[in-house]
Amino acid sequence: MGTQNVPSSVVQFAIVDKLINIGRANSLWPLTFGIACCAIEMMATGCARFDMSRFGAEVFRPSARQSDVMIVAGTITKKMMPGIKTLYDQMPEPKWVMALGNCAISGGPFAFEGQYSIVLGADEFLPVDVYIPGCPPRPEALLQGIIELEHLVSDWKRWKNPEAA
Amino acid sequence: MEPQFTAFLYQENVLWIAAFTLGGLAFALGPIAIVYLLMPRETRQIDNKSLQFIECGMDPIGDSWIRYGVVFYLYALIFLAFDVDVLFLFPVAIAYNDALFASSIRDFIEIVLFVGILSLAVVYAWIKGVFKWERKTYLRQ
Repeated sequence: MGTQNVPSSVVQFAIVDKLINIGRANSLWPLTFGIACCAIEMMATGCARFDMSRFGAEVFRPSARQSDVMIVAGTITKKMMPGIKTLYDQMPEPKWVMALGNCAISGGPFAFEGQYSIVLGADEFLPVDVYIPGCPPRPEALLQGIIELEHLVSDWKRWKNPEAA
Repeated sequence: MEPQFTAFLYQENVLWIAAFTLGGLAFALGPIAIVYLLMPRETRQIDNKSLQFIECGMDPIGDSWIRYGVVFYLYALIFLAFDVDVLFLFPVAIAYNDALFASSIRDFIEIVLFVGILSLAVVYAWIKGVFKWERKTYLRQ
């Protein structure tokens, strides 16, 4: 997708923006949107055992107009692509996209010669921020992806980087 | 004692009420104003479908402004008759075995009267033919 012009607000205060970004990073609201088997892992991540709410991202919104993060969880068929585009359009700014699983990254097992129904990766038409590989990824991988997205949203770090010390 | 003009008597209270009203307004409208200044004015588009009403991604089929049959409305009205019936019969059922009301035929007759009068509403609807579930069509003049 290349570089994008991200719309911003009229009034901008650096400190306020930093503060708001910390808030955003700690309360990412994903869209309840599973399009294939990766959605099962997404559900598992939201449930008690892996407990996405430890990272403030458990509020799955059924409406695109209330959510921050679109987790593209699974195979994107060419029939589903217009729906995903519409949902992305309906999400308010700031918004981020995570590609969950190999299908959403590159088409996964469907990338073979002569296939006619699958879009080879979410980044064909969406600005993807975080890629989470796996077929399907473990819930821990999705949690790692959320933490990576938190680092992308804000300078604030959930944990110190042990390698830097 | 000469009569006093109350508007001057409670001037301080009026000030307090005005202050609280203004405070309340600021609390209600302030966040909206702050958000309006701090929010991004637009959102990135792919298909320019940001204003589509339906939030499931699919294009809506047809219009939601269609006409419904009015039959169900009558049905709901009859339900109301049953509903009131049950609402008032619950306390009766609780108190009926009480020693105060025991061995009295008068209470029983009162209940029968009450249920009977409310049942008249159902009988009326029955005679009017509501239970036939026919779509009523009115031609526009």
